[in-house]
Amino acid sequence: MDFLDTTREAFRLLFSGDPTLWGIIWVSIKVSVLALMLAGPVAVAAGFVLAHVVFPGRRLLVILVQAFQSFPTVVVGLLLYLLLSRQGPLGALHLLFTQPAMVLGQMAIAFPVLAAYTLTAVQGADLRAHETAASLGAGRLRAAMTTLCEVRFGVMAAVFMGFGRIISEIGCSLMVGGNIAGLTRNIPTAIALETSKGEFAQGVALGIVLIALALAVNVALAAAQGQGGMRRAWQP
Amino acid sequence: MAAVIEVGGLVKSWGGRTALRIPQLVLKAGSSYVLSGDNGAGKSTLLRIFAGLEPAQVERFAFEGRLLQLDRLPAEVRRQIGFVHQHSYMFSRSALANVEYGLRVRGTSRNERARLAHEALAWAGMAELAGAPAQRLSGGEQQRVALARVKVLSPRVYLLDEPTANLDADGRQRVIELIAQLAAADKVVLIACHDLEMINLPGVVRLHLENGSLQPGFGH
Repeated sequence: MDFLDTTREAFRLLFSGDPTLWGIIWVSIKVSVLALMLAGPVAVAAGFVLAHVVFPGRRLLVILVQAFQSFPTVVVGLLLYLLLSRQGPLGALHLLFTQPAMVLGQMAIAFPVLAAYTLTAVQGADLRAHETAASLGAGRLRAAMTTLCEVRFGVMAAVFMGFGRIISEIGCSLMVGGNIAGLTRNIPTAIALETSKGEFAQGVALGIVLIALALAVNVALAAAQGQGGMRRAWQP
Repeated sequence: MAAVIEVGGLVKSWGGRTALRIPQLVLKAGSSYVLSGDNGAGKSTLLRIFAGLEPAQVERFAFEGRLLQLDRLPAEVRRQIGFVHQHSYMFSRSALANVEYGLRVRGTSRNERARLAHEALAWAGMAELAGAPAQRLSGGEQQRVALARVKVLSPRVYLLDEPTANLDADGRQRVIELIAQLAAADKVVLIACHDLEMINLPGVVRLHLENGSLQPGFGH
């Protein structure tokens, strides 16, 4: 099959609503969005605390969070595999090769990205934002929420970066998901493994979807930032 | 007049150096105080300590006669103390939403909030710009919104840190007029400032900080 034919077939699959293909896309989106929703609030809170609260060991944690952003996803998968495998400490949960296992893995991968980006955003926030909120009567939580709201574009960027990282990762999904058709087969595992079996059209179609998703995320981020992102910094 | 704030034995040190040492300071209702002093004399620090934004060692602190821990003021007391930064920070929302912020924190109903905030903005001469993004306003306008944002909460004590710094002549004049209106029979206004015009406001008590200590002969 030549390249043109493959591409034509890929678009046919996409637009004919091929159930297998769209099933794979659905697994990818479902797992990544769920992982983001579960890890997001905690990671953003952690990023805020790391940026805002002075406590012993904070420097080390900051370094760790930043370092873990580039932790190989396949190693996250390996560690999770050891935890979830039958003899592992969490083996009794029977989560290996299920979507929840993939969600757990992607949560672990997204967490440091979300926390590190939030950390940077909050560090860039004007200190007076928090002080103003506090002096107007806001309690700790309220003042923290106000500060996060002031740097919402940075926090949004954190969420989109986290999504970009997990929607396209393959190592962990393959290790703990197992690429089971109709169950844990997502876009990256399908592209990697199905292409090797000669399913070129499906691979190309999924590749198009993955690129479209990545582009859409970036366009959405740019649109959300809009003028806010371009706003001139405050000057004394 | 009744004492609103009484402080005794206030010491603030930074890295072993004493930045501020105030054996005794009483701020009475119905009075305005202008705190002068060179840059670095500790004016802002003193205001920030009272606003609860900066820790300090304090032997004795009383608010309206109640003995309290300055670093653990109960919410109802903290809400009686309003603070305005030298360059006030505007939340990235409209001027109106900025003024509503403190009311929202206090759980004021939506209608009441809007009414009070509009009233306060009108007081500050900012009624027309209520819907404008606060961060786009000029320095003088932002300072007026900041004053409205505090006044709407009608605190007992106003702490104003260099409220006229970096404002042009017109902006300065308007802010000074507003500050004169904040002083009322039951209020305390404490202004850190080296604006001579403000220091000479009629009826104010002058305080002078030098090397972290209040100097005698300035109303105390």
